Amino acid sequence: MRRARAAKTRAAAGLALVVLTAGCGSSAERPAATPPPKPTPLSLATSLASAGTAWATIPMGAPSGPNQFWQLFRLTSPGGRWALKTPGGVATNGALVLAGPGKQTLTAGIRPSLDLGFSPVTVTRDGGGSWSSLPPEPGFADVPDALAAAADGRLIALGQDQAVQAAASQRASWTTLTTPKALAATAAGRRCALAGLTAVAYTPAGAPLLAGTCGRAGTAAIFTHQGRTWRLAGPALPTALSGQPVRVIRLSQAGGRDVALLQAGTGASASLLAAWTGDSRAWTLSPVFPLSGAHAVSVSSGPGGAVAVVLSGGRGVTVDGPGAAWRRLPPLPPGQAVVLAVPAPGTTDLLAAAGSMLTAWQLTGQPARWTKTQTVKVPIQYGSSSGS
Amino acid sequence: MSGMNNGLNPDDPTVVAAFRAALLHQGVIALLIFAVLSVAWVSVRAQPDGPRPEGPNGPGRPLARIRAGLWAYGEPAGRQVLRIGFGVLWLADAVLLAQPGMAAGLPSQVIAPSAVTSPAWVQHLAVWAGNAWSYHPVEVGSAALWIEAGIGLWLLAAPRGTSSRLAGLASLTWGLVVWVFGESFGQIFAPGLSWLSGAPGAGLLYAVAGALLVLPDRTWRTPRLGRALLGGLGVFGIGMAVLQAWPGRGFWQGKSAGQPGTLAGLVQSLAGTPQPQALSALLSGFGSVVRAHGFAVNLVVVIALAAAGLAFITARRRAIGPAVAVFAVLCLLAWVLTEDMGFLGGLRADPGSMIPMALLAVGGYLALTRVPAAEAATSAAPAGEAPADAAGERWRERLGPAAVRRSLTAATFGTMASLGAVGVILLGAVPMAAAQATPAASVILAQSMNGAPNAMDAPAPGFTLTDQHGQPVSLSGLRGKVVLLTFLDPVCVTDCPLIAQEFREAGRLLGADSRRVELVAVNLNPIYSQLGYIRAFDHAEGLDTVPNWHFLTSDQARLRQVWRAYGVASQVLRAGAMLGHSDVAFVVDQRGHLVQELNFDPGPGTPVTKSSFAAELADAAAQTLRSA
Repeated sequence: MRRARAAKTRAAAGLALVVLTAGCGSSAERPAATPPPKPTPLSLATSLASAGTAWATIPMGAPSGPNQFWQLFRLTSPGGRWALKTPGGVATNGALVLAGPGKQTLTAGIRPSLDLGFSPVTVTRDGGGSWSSLPPEPGFADVPDALAAAADGRLIALGQDQAVQAAASQRASWTTLTTPKALAATAAGRRCALAGLTAVAYTPAGAPLLAGTCGRAGTAAIFTHQGRTWRLAGPALPTALSGQPVRVIRLSQAGGRDVALLQAGTGASASLLAAWTGDSRAWTLSPVFPLSGAHAVSVSSGPGGAVAVVLSGGRGVTVDGPGAAWRRLPPLPPGQAVVLAVPAPGTTDLLAAAGSMLTAWQLTGQPARWTKTQTVKVPIQYGSSSGS
Repeated sequence: MSGMNNGLNPDDPTVVAAFRAALLHQGVIALLIFAVLSVAWVSVRAQPDGPRPEGPNGPGRPLARIRAGLWAYGEPAGRQVLRIGFGVLWLADAVLLAQPGMAAGLPSQVIAPSAVTSPAWVQHLAVWAGNAWSYHPVEVGSAALWIEAGIGLWLLAAPRGTSSRLAGLASLTWGLVVWVFGESFGQIFAPGLSWLSGAPGAGLLYAVAGALLVLPDRTWRTPRLGRALLGGLGVFGIGMAVLQAWPGRGFWQGKSAGQPGTLAGLVQSLAGTPQPQALSALLSGFGSVVRAHGFAVNLVVVIALAAAGLAFITARRRAIGPAVAVFAVLCLLAWVLTEDMGFLGGLRADPGSMIPMALLAVGGYLALTRVPAAEAATSAAPAGEAPADAAGERWRERLGPAAVRRSLTAATFGTMASLGAVGVILLGAVPMAAAQATPAASVILAQSMNGAPNAMDAPAPGFTLTDQHGQPVSLSGLRGKVVLLTFLDPVCVTDCPLIAQEFREAGRLLGADSRRVELVAVNLNPIYSQLGYIRAFDHAEGLDTVPNWHFLTSDQARLRQVWRAYGVASQVLRAGAMLGHSDVAFVVDQRGHLVQELNFDPGPGTPVTKSSFAAELADAAAQTLRSA
């Protein structure tokens, strides 16, 4: 009797073990939650130009990681040659953010990377021949317009934590000008239902300008600092876009006017729209450019308010300034990273990086086509940021 | 596996040499333990007035006495098989732990691979265990060896009585430690769990054997223990057979979509490991058979496991013998063909789970079929062990010289060998506990990467620079204290933050002594030399609250003077590269003399290497303080 009971107990235990062990081999299927679509981040590869001089920054070396080094190139005259001008003394693995091109002057910030937790800032006044350091910034945001310089030397920056920092002069330390929370609490911020910041700039008059994304459809989140308060200062959008979410993806100053590039809508219905301020601070809008499922990869600015956009799928478009139409470019030459540059009105260059090699192309002829003008072998120090 | 890389090469010559030296020293101590015990035993027994216990351990030829001590005739056969079998296995494990690459390689080569497919919580345990080992690879590596050797010797030397049961307890405890921390629970929580790949892990089987040996003698004198042991093995076998047969786990397919199936892939990976050519060829051949006839091979395994399991559960005497034989043969085949004998496929710490499993089956069979008669008297007071003294005797008297002499005189060879084995276990356990109580990693890791510090004796070149607070600091002003001096780039993305963290940790390790030590860094970057960069660096590395930390800077000309005086190079490189510079640290004594130069390349910057460099700095400072 006892033996039979013991056998039953063993059989039950065996069955339990079989069931348990069988469970070890299989995993429960769970329905995957679909996260909301995020806007594709814009590359920090960009170029800016002024008075015949263009600066471009582009990632080179490895596609990512400690062997990717961001480089800075300068073109001294349209049709001339691009020269390597990357600031020395600091690793540029985290990318460069550029501000305030003059003929010879450029301010560059280096984004945090690896074990560097803050952002060095450096300035050249001799066209990249020598660089001197400015006070460090707590850490630039991962956007191309994270740094802007005013003509009088003031600096404004967008930080990784979205706080807006300002320096009263190039030698002054950074102090917090505002935060997204404080900005959202203002009347302008409430009207926009501010969702986040994407760019900083100065108006030609030297007033700080912030841009981002409004939660309220059809509103361009551009704020200007006037009389100790922030005011919504963006353009009024065409009625057709009034129901669309709007994101300011670039904001800069060129040729005495503010230039903004806006993306309205999402997904296949998204479109681009450039906007320029005039003397009266009123905005002029470009025609709407439908993206047709593509997205902006890199955006550059040129003299007179020109905007050049690299689109996904190896395509590119430019618009020369207020009143001009969008112009489609011939298919872009391939590269690990590609940047357009507009050194002078009517001139379009393209820089394509692959490993240590940079190839410069120029748009020539009628019909327009890309002509290779230069190759630059960059002496990248592979392994120099990888530790020992 | 993330967090498991200690930054060490298993064959690192410095660590290997230190490991060998430690084993040699401890081996000599182990021999001394046995020598002292032997001399004490022989000399006490040789005294004419010494008591002469009678019986099998009494007067007679020494060899006969030794044989009597080791093989007590009344020990149940099943227990004897487990005790001797697992004793030999522990010794074999100890031999495997003596491999040169074991000290530096066990975390990355043994622990990490066993945990890589397990759930996150198992991986956390494995990372913790790997770090505990990596912090003191030589101390813990040699300690593990002596613990396992001691357990093996103890099991072999103690055939019965309390000592034998304690040896079983040691096997149970250490087996569980190995199973949980070294084998990640034998991968039983991993999705690829299979008997063929070693489930449920050798450590658990050693622990089970230990638990059986802990059981009182009377338990072995009925067939119930054998039936229970075989029943447990039977349930396990059927469970494993079900898992082996479960669809979708890839065991039925020799190959699938051009790729080898699960078993074929396992055998193929084993065949590719460095091992004798004959065995490699055998594994390759078996791999081909599995690829071609995966279904048939798996069917044989499933049927054999299930049939053996059923036979074990029913425990019918007619079926149990052949079932144990089949199971043992299956274990042996799996040991060779799917476990690569446990130790041939790279760095391994044990011969796998198949031999222990076969031993358990044989032990269970003997416990079921060869039950000895009850031994009432001897089981209560085993022959050869010190007789229990009268109740009420005070413990001081029991430990007094006379009592010890009485015990030694009455002790058998087995008792003395057991005492020696316990000594060997302590030889491992004590340094292991001491190492684990030390917060910093062993300096051997730092020295394996950068060599030992260079002794110096020259006046330290003086300088006056500005600290992070904007105050002037001169080296001469720090006279009377030990100065740990280094050169850092405040915008460095790799080495300098690590070195700074190591300096901060060294200050912490110095404890109260840190009041007599100053941690000084000189800026190495000619471009980023503003105080703002110094402060930003200090803030990022948590150094802005360290009272004895001074990060000094100045204008380029003055900085260059200091670099030149200390022979430190710095170079601005092109194309976005970090500043090129040497990683070096100096120790300046209280008189202002350079006494040590340390190559301070921080290596991979793992928690283990950072701790080791910090310990090296702290040791250097403490040594300089002591020598004042």
